[in-house]
Amino acid sequence: MSKAPVTSDIDLFADDILVDAYPTYKALRDQAAVVHLPVNQVYALTRYDVIRAALGDPATFSSVKGIGFNPAVNDALQGTSLASDPPVHTQLRATLAANLTPRKLRAIEEQIVGKAEALVHRLVQGGGFEAMDALARAFPLEIVADLIGFTGDVKNNMLRWGQAAMEVIGPMNQRTIENFPIAGELYGWCSQVTANDLTPGSIGRGIFEAMDRGEIPPGSAGHIIHQYLGAGVDTTIAAIGNVVALFGRHPEQFERVRQDPSLVPSAFSEVLRYYPPVHAWGRRVTRDVEIEGVLIPQGSQAAILFGAGNRDERHYPNPDVFDVARNPADHLSFGYGAHSCAGQGLARMEGHAVITALSRHVRSFRLGDQVKKPTNITQALDKLMVQDVVGA
Amino acid sequence: MKLEVDVKRCEGHGLCLQAAPKVLHHNENAEVVIDVEVLTGDALAQAEAAVRICPMAALRLTSEP
Repeated sequence: MSKAPVTSDIDLFADDILVDAYPTYKALRDQAAVVHLPVNQVYALTRYDVIRAALGDPATFSSVKGIGFNPAVNDALQGTSLASDPPVHTQLRATLAANLTPRKLRAIEEQIVGKAEALVHRLVQGGGFEAMDALARAFPLEIVADLIGFTGDVKNNMLRWGQAAMEVIGPMNQRTIENFPIAGELYGWCSQVTANDLTPGSIGRGIFEAMDRGEIPPGSAGHIIHQYLGAGVDTTIAAIGNVVALFGRHPEQFERVRQDPSLVPSAFSEVLRYYPPVHAWGRRVTRDVEIEGVLIPQGSQAAILFGAGNRDERHYPNPDVFDVARNPADHLSFGYGAHSCAGQGLARMEGHAVITALSRHVRSFRLGDQVKKPTNITQALDKLMVQDVVGA
Repeated sequence: MKLEVDVKRCEGHGLCLQAAPKVLHHNENAEVVIDVEVLTGDALAQAEAAVRICPMAALRLTSEP
C-alpha cells in the first residue's frame, strides 16, 4: 500500500527560485525523494539515487511527450532523439553523437585549446572584462559555429536562438510565450538549411553528405543541426560563466588548480556538479511506479532536479562546499544513461581548455558585479565583471 | 566478478579509463578493451568505480562465468 505523496506548493519556475534554487532544492530534498508539486503538475525527483535510477530506466521514465513542461514544446520535439525512447532513439542518437565522440573530437582538440589560449591571453592583457560576453558566450559560439559551419546571419542569431530553444522547455509562462517565436525562427531555418549554407569541410556539411549517401533518413540533417545549436550553446555558456564565478569566489581553489594542472578535469566536474547548467528536465511516467513508498501514477510527469541531486548530502559529503579535488565524475549535470548529453565530450573539451588557459595566464583576479536573471531552464549568469586581473 | 561492456551503448567518453586503469584500456578506435578477466581486490574496486561513472551506463559487473 503506497503512501500519499508529500506535497509542496512552490512553483519551480517562480522568479525567486530561478535566481537561486538551492535553498528550495534543499527544502524539497529534506521533505522526500519524491515531492508532488500541484502548481507545476509534476512529481519532483529530489535526491541523487532516485534521479539516477530514473534516468537509467527510460522504459518507465520516458522522454516521449515528457521532457518539456508544456504540451506545445513536447509536440514540436517529436521525432528527435531528445524526445524518443529506445529502440527508436538508438539510431537517432547514434547519428547525433557520431560527430561528437571523443575519437572524432581528437581532430579538433588542438584547435579548441588554441582558441581558448588566444582568447584568455588577450582578455588578460586588458586587466578586466565582462566574462559572460567576452568569454562564456564568445568561446562556445565560435567553437559551435566553426564545427557546424555557420556563417553570416546565422552566426549572429546563434545566441538568441540557442537561449530560446532552452527557454521554451519551461511551463507556458511569460518567458516561454515570449521565446516561442524565436525558437520558431531556429526551427524554420533548420528545416530549410541546405549543404551550401554551411562551410565546406565542416561537420554540418558532413551531416548533409551522410544524408545524401543514405546513411541517415531524408530530412534528418536539419533536425540534427537544430539539436547541436539548441543544446550546445546555452548550456556551455552557463558552465564557462560558472567556472569564472566559482574561481572568483574561491580564489584558494583557483590557486590549487594553478599549482596542479592535473586537477583540471576534476575542477570542471565540480563546477558542473555545483551549478548544473540545467534546472529541470521532464520525463513521462509510463506505468504506476512506487518510489520510496510513494506512488507516481502512470501518465504523470516527473521533474528531474539535477541541482537538487548534485547537492544531496546522502551522496556527496559537504555538498555545498566547492572543492576542485572532489572529482565528482558521477555528477548528474549531463544526465545519465541512454539520453545522457550527446555533446558531453565536446563540453568537457571546451571546459578543460578554458580552465587550463585561465590557470596558465591568470595569477589572480577579483569579481565585480554579478547579475543573474530568472530563466526557465538554463541557469547562467547574465553578467559577470572580472577586474584587477594579474597575469601569470 | 567480471566486467562487461555493452558496445552498442559505449560512445568512448573514456571516463572509465581514469577510474579503472588496471582493468581496461582504449584501443586506437577508442573502444574499450577489458584486460582483467577475473576481478578481485583492487581491480574489482576500480571496476566498480568505472561502472558507477560510465555516463552511458554501458558497463556492468557480472558473476556469470
